[in-house]
Amino acid sequence: MMRTTINRVLLALTGIIVLGGGLLVLAGGTAIYRHWNLTPPGGWPLTSEHDALVPHGDQTRWAGQNWWWPATIAALATLLLLALAWLLAQTARGRRHRALPLPGSPPSAARIDDTVVSDALTDDLRNLSGVLHARATLSGPRSHAEARIDLTLDPDGDPAPVLDSVAMATQRAGQAIRQDVLPTHINLAVARHASRRAT
Amino acid sequence: MSTRRILQGEPAHQQREGPAPGVGGPPPGTPQDPSPRPSRSASAKRQSPAPSSRRPRSARRVASAVTASLTALACGALLFEAVWTRAGNRANTWWTTLSNELATRPVDDVWILTGAAVAAALGLVLLILALTRGNRGKLPMKVPAGGPAGMRAVVDRRSAALILRDATMSVPGTSAARVRVGRHRIHVRAEVRFRDPADVKAELTKTVGDAASGQLRLAHPPKQTIHVRRSPT
Repeated sequence: MMRTTINRVLLALTGIIVLGGGLLVLAGGTAIYRHWNLTPPGGWPLTSEHDALVPHGDQTRWAGQNWWWPATIAALATLLLLALAWLLAQTARGRRHRALPLPGSPPSAARIDDTVVSDALTDDLRNLSGVLHARATLSGPRSHAEARIDLTLDPDGDPAPVLDSVAMATQRAGQAIRQDVLPTHINLAVARHASRRAT
Repeated sequence: MSTRRILQGEPAHQQREGPAPGVGGPPPGTPQDPSPRPSRSASAKRQSPAPSSRRPRSARRVASAVTASLTALACGALLFEAVWTRAGNRANTWWTTLSNELATRPVDDVWILTGAAVAAALGLVLLILALTRGNRGKLPMKVPAGGPAGMRAVVDRRSAALILRDATMSVPGTSAARVRVGRHRIHVRAEVRFRDPADVKAELTKTVGDAASGQLRLAHPPKQTIHVRRSPT
């Protein structure tokens, strides 16, 4: 759930910057400081509604300095790369190998592909009674795998016993990659069906 | 976009003998709570405050992807312009127009104010997206006691409504049922063909409550609103 945290921190950061900038301009443009008799601290931007957003003086202030252009280009390039990395993180699901610790051999002796484990888990889940569709995916760093399971139950499926069987199946999958705790997120759904009267 | 899932139930022609499986009674070990309002504190007392009893946070992938794309686009355009002019080319029109407008329009200009208002609203939306839990269409389920640590389960509200509708239809006398599952309340509208509607309502209350906490294993069974009426036919 690393990605959730990163996404939310970056979204909050962007939100604060955009909201703050908007409010600053709104405050200057509606002359709120004068109406409310506020005195903004020295150096505060946009205190009068006649100020321009970025006056010509500001636009060219550092353009003559020899550090300005390299710094600007480096900053923009860094920001661009970070934004692209953030964008790719939303889709990237590369194949990942996990070390498979075997008794009596060094930890790196055997490796297992994520898809092997998740396919086995998916097969396990599909064979449970009451399950119509199942899909399991493994993600997370090498030694801290996480499973995500999407389950669709038969119209007659009963969630409670299915959940118990899923718990056992994920426990087996966790044991397969020698991980005591395999954090699992289960998304349960029920296949659409017409209503039947049972009297 | 509706946040409520609506299900309309009309009886199909086939009839089933005997009560539907799994809804005859609560599974053993499930505390029976026939009260129509299992309060939040009561359900919290019944179980240890496990982290899995809350709705998981949404990863906010779409919002992140959109924000990242827009940031990348803006940075890319500025970077291109910076490199382009440093390489000795003339600045593009969009850049000269933009910087000129920014330098000449006062901040009480309509366009600037509109832009600022839009930016403030957008920033607020991003902040709300970052801070709220999301996954509003899902209801958290109780994970099996003694099950593996770190297991969380959710059921979407549409599916919960399907299961509750099936439970509703198992009550003798019910001829049709509409079940809507909100985040905090289950709405049941049932039509009664025979039996006393008051009896049917009492049984529906118990059945739906049992199905929500037993069969569906909801971590916080929502309150119920049950309406019954005589079938017009």
